Amino acid sequence: MVRFIGRRIFFAIVTILLVSAAVFAIFSFLPFDPASLTCGQRCTPQIIEGNRIKLGFDKPIYEQYWLFLSGIFVGRTYGSGSAAFSCPAPAFGYSFNENACVTDMIKESLPITLNLAVGALVIWLVLGISLGVIAAKFKNRWPDTSSSVFVLLGTSLPTFVTGLALLIWVSIKWKIVPMSLDGYVSVLDSPSRWFMYFILPWITLAIAYAALYTRFTRAAVLDTLGEDYIRTARAKGVRERTVLFKHTLRAVLAPIVTLAGLDFAGLVGGAIITETIFNLPGLARLTLRSVYEFDLPVVLATTILAAVVVIVMNLIVDMLYAVLDPRVRI
Amino acid sequence: MSSISALRRAVVVTAASSLVISAALVAGSQVANAAETPRTGGTLVLLEHEPRLDHLDPSRIYTGRDLAFMNSFHTRTLVAYNPVPGAAGANIVPDLATNTGVPSNSAKTWKFTLRPGTKFEDGTPITCEHVQYGTSRVFATDVITDGPAYLLSWLDIPKDADGNSIFTGPYKNTPAGLAAFKKAVSCSKDNRTITFNLNKSVADFNYLATYGTISPVQAKFDNGDAYDLKPQATGPYKISVNNKTELVLVRNKFWSKASDPVRTPYPDKVVIKFGLDEEVQDQIFLEDSQPNAMNFNGPLPTNKDKFFTNDEYKNRRMNNSDPYAIYIAFNLAKMPCLEVRAAMYYARNAKALLDYAGGPTYAGSYATGVISPLVALDYAPTKVVGPGSPDFMPEGNIPKAKALLETAKTKCPADYKKATEDGILIDVRQSSTLNDTIPINEAAYARAGIKVKFNIIASGYYSTVMNPAKQSDMSSAGWGADWANASTVIPELFASFGGFNLSQNSNDPAYKAFEDKVNIAMKTTDRKKQAEMWKALDKEAMKNFWVLPTTFGKAQEIWGSGLGGVFFWVPQGNPAYGKIWVKK
Repeated sequence: MVRFIGRRIFFAIVTILLVSAAVFAIFSFLPFDPASLTCGQRCTPQIIEGNRIKLGFDKPIYEQYWLFLSGIFVGRTYGSGSAAFSCPAPAFGYSFNENACVTDMIKESLPITLNLAVGALVIWLVLGISLGVIAAKFKNRWPDTSSSVFVLLGTSLPTFVTGLALLIWVSIKWKIVPMSLDGYVSVLDSPSRWFMYFILPWITLAIAYAALYTRFTRAAVLDTLGEDYIRTARAKGVRERTVLFKHTLRAVLAPIVTLAGLDFAGLVGGAIITETIFNLPGLARLTLRSVYEFDLPVVLATTILAAVVVIVMNLIVDMLYAVLDPRVRI
Repeated sequence: MSSISALRRAVVVTAASSLVISAALVAGSQVANAAETPRTGGTLVLLEHEPRLDHLDPSRIYTGRDLAFMNSFHTRTLVAYNPVPGAAGANIVPDLATNTGVPSNSAKTWKFTLRPGTKFEDGTPITCEHVQYGTSRVFATDVITDGPAYLLSWLDIPKDADGNSIFTGPYKNTPAGLAAFKKAVSCSKDNRTITFNLNKSVADFNYLATYGTISPVQAKFDNGDAYDLKPQATGPYKISVNNKTELVLVRNKFWSKASDPVRTPYPDKVVIKFGLDEEVQDQIFLEDSQPNAMNFNGPLPTNKDKFFTNDEYKNRRMNNSDPYAIYIAFNLAKMPCLEVRAAMYYARNAKALLDYAGGPTYAGSYATGVISPLVALDYAPTKVVGPGSPDFMPEGNIPKAKALLETAKTKCPADYKKATEDGILIDVRQSSTLNDTIPINEAAYARAGIKVKFNIIASGYYSTVMNPAKQSDMSSAGWGADWANASTVIPELFASFGGFNLSQNSNDPAYKAFEDKVNIAMKTTDRKKQAEMWKALDKEAMKNFWVLPTTFGKAQEIWGSGLGGVFFWVPQGNPAYGKIWVKK
């Protein structure tokens, strides 16, 4: 186990290094001059050159990459004189547009995205798996047909429709979840306000995913229920509840965990529509804004972060496999 | 946010005390619930679609709305616009200074004496040295970007061989540069009177003193770029939170009413919420679900009719002319032929485009030049373009355009070929309306046999088109006067030394004579004579078709039922935010 984890972490670090180098190279070869993007309306060649030196864009590309990497461990200082400023380690660069260290910007956005993704994940797993199991259990009867209506709606309604509808009707018109402009609060500070802040975004995200998971679970449960070992269990007189939850569901869970792990990773930085509609200043919004404004240091950092999350989630999924399926040795 | 406010350009306008703004222009403005007595307390909330304000640093703010906001609450300047409805709102009154500036030496020297008892948010008393330091910052052109740059050309500081000031700002300077600056901007022995020595007569220099570019800054808190995040307050509110979601202003305990004749701070807290979806914002106001909120960026075009045709909203909406003239600049380096430029003007379907944008009710009126009617004294219809000109037809004057092209065919065949065969390339800012306006333009120009192509710029619009190497044949733009004098319009747009000359017109045969007249007008201190000169120069620029003028804009505002005291503040083209109060 320890050797497995050690090996995986080693490869994870190598992958992250490769991804960061690739992303860095892509941004360096883009047909933009990053120094001129930092310049305001009254832009003279002197200002552009000054900013180029201040932000280190005058150095060769490998040196810039090295500065970027070393910044993560020792921090970086930009500019000189009394207008100099520094970003402490771990420094992922400096956003000229926002006048802020990229690390601070990510520190502000990440908790919001994690809260959003974890909450939505819990809802869609609970909803999707239970509906799927019920639909399979009552195949072709009314619970199954109603769940397929849900599946149809959930998969066909885009998130910007469900999100806007929830916000405008449930929040603004009916005031069931009154719209608050108070912004993000941590669950530790005020659980009720935290819940009210996230509940509609969670539902928006969860509806789309839960529909897919219902479909997936239903199919997998039906498949497994037809297996020989289930027939054997039933023949041995095992109770139907045990057959369903112990023998069937456990087998079904392994692929669901893989799927959930990757979907979760995708959400960190990918819930752009939900974050935009509900005005959640999370990572996806940060990335989107940075792309619009050519805020390259931020795009670079969020891209690398997204890669890290995918790699970490893969690692977690692999370890969970061993727990769920004793045949898997790690 | 409308494309106009995205211009990142200032805009302040109108009339000095002696002028009268025509009733039609301010007819849309209103005072909500004038009978009620303002109440102190509560929270004023402003809802904004954009993720932040462009700048908070007083030296870098340059858009009318942000100036109106920050100067109402946070930043005090030497003089200020009087926050009252109607034409009187354009009068300047003393703020940090005890007067509105005393000129001498043919307005080449300006003195302001500071009011006693004024303090920064940390309790430090404001002295002349702080204003002197604040003024020096604009010279650090690599750090202090985007603000008004008049001081760079007006202060009497020697220039180096490249024409740059020998003073390079407070962050990295030379003893000679610093000495030259301190000679140009000096403090009296008692540290209470600041003197500005200019290299030319500037009769309206005190209007520049309404900008934060001349305002007190403490050197020990000035961390360059980062000062933009949390500038020190001198007004009744200071910044307590500034992040991705909100800007929160709370009371500044070191501000005192006794020292401030301008501001009446009613709410306990002022908050801007950033990054809201525009449709959601409009729904909030349609439902009045946040009564103490105001829409900071105006309603979506698709929702304007709901707000402005329904009596339910009549006490919480306004629709006013804004101070921008919208135009498309001709890049004369690429379009030297006058006939082709004129043909571009006459072939355009101005009516179709104005109707698309909301018609005269919401989008404004056909422009008659680049000086907006809100710069009352300097405005007159040029009668060369727009209403009043014999050849102007809102849907396009195709016979005239064709006749002009016929002349161009022999007079400037290369330009003729570009217009009819290769296509004229127009710089436009990326926006959701382009899908509709591009076909309108293509169809309109096709009527005269002109081909147009569009260069859609997604980001950094002005830094791209301001670069002569990157500018196309034509570039969409807009401009509003910085204060009630076309000296902040005509030279800025058309003189080779102007800060926003997109016409590249210095090689045009008509240019030399034009510049001479501009120089004379700038030196003219008789304001009435000067106004006649600006009117004539506006006309001349239009005759030469250095730009294709399109519209004089309009802007709409909506707010919740819990706010009182909202009125249109003429000089800033926005509500006087500092006068808004929150009902119980």
